[in-house]
Amino acid sequence: MGESVIQTALCPSGRASEVDPPPLHAPPPARAHFTPLLKSTFLMLDAFSRAATAADASGSFVGGSQLADLKAFVAAGNKRLDAVKAISTSASCIVTDSVAGMICENPGLTSPGGNCYSNRRMAACLRDGEIVLRYVAYALLAGDGSVLQDRCLNGLKETYAALGVPTGSMARAVAIMKACAVAHINGTNGDRGPQTTNNTITLGTTAKGDCSALTSEAASYFDAVSSSIS
Amino acid sequence: MKSTITTVIAAADNAARFPSASDLESVRGSMERAAARMEAAEKLAANYDSVAQEAVDAVYKVNPQGTLGRQPRVCDTEGKEKCKRDFVHYLRLINYALVTGGTGPLDELAINGAKEVYAALSIDPATYVYGLNTLRNRGCAPRDMSAQALAEYNAALDYVANSLG
Repeated sequence: MGESVIQTALCPSGRASEVDPPPLHAPPPARAHFTPLLKSTFLMLDAFSRAATAADASGSFVGGSQLADLKAFVAAGNKRLDAVKAISTSASCIVTDSVAGMICENPGLTSPGGNCYSNRRMAACLRDGEIVLRYVAYALLAGDGSVLQDRCLNGLKETYAALGVPTGSMARAVAIMKACAVAHINGTNGDRGPQTTNNTITLGTTAKGDCSALTSEAASYFDAVSSSIS
Repeated sequence: MKSTITTVIAAADNAARFPSASDLESVRGSMERAAARMEAAEKLAANYDSVAQEAVDAVYKVNPQGTLGRQPRVCDTEGKEKCKRDFVHYLRLINYALVTGGTGPLDELAINGAKEVYAALSIDPATYVYGLNTLRNRGCAPRDMSAQALAEYNAALDYVANSLG
């Protein structure tokens, strides 16, 4: 049964068996090019190992301006860790809000025939949102987008195309996630009006810091997700 | 190339979880030591040539034939140059190890296969171990770099010497 369905799909005319067998001396069919899998750990870099890898390509020492950049990375390290923590601890909130926002703008998604219709598909959508956010959190921690690119985005567009996932909607959810995550990093995610915004950050005498470099870095990772799937 | 942060991320990714508090804590610990590592890397990048020369001189002092186990060279300048080139190579990888905060660059680019290569070329790795140990004992805390930086630098030298010996 299954076989006949496949045959019909592959050969609509139903004449699969009438095709002549290849002659005995025919050259072997061209094989798909086999690319060996690299160990994935080698493809994940952080700010430090990227500097070392770049220097190794030219056989030079890591020094001067590259070291100055890395020192700046270390100096702002606690801010970075706070940003990763802000995203990680509010992950399910960020994901749920962004998927809910996507559906609010396009209620057809949860109607019969929509791509989030049925709890199974809705759950898959939430799960994908969480995966994307998790890899963005990794990239932000590493200070380098390679982990996101290699372990999450590589082939994602093709997978979504094969599964029929509307990438426009997904990109919209990612855009909302970006706004949410940036607000969480800046501590401007309060929901009770302007008087109480920053309440998570300005408790006590802690002043609000400048996180613009980190928020723009995080935003660039979300943008990379959007552009790679659309 | 492995580093402290990528190791933490790989572990978190294998468990499909967001970076946990303890993950962030271990990254913070490595960043706290990073200042000393950066200092050592910077000093090494600026002075690697004379450091390597020091190691070569030490090797040729104990063994005028140069590299142990090798046939005596007709022209010992060539041997010295190659010896120095190798020490510069090790110092460069130590520089990377100091930058990344792990032994990953050393393992990937020098130590894996080193024994086989030296055996094939009939070079006694003890030559390099001797040179590296000389450098290990030459470093002086306030003169060359701070005590913490020197500790990180010496640890990297020890790691190479132990792996080759």
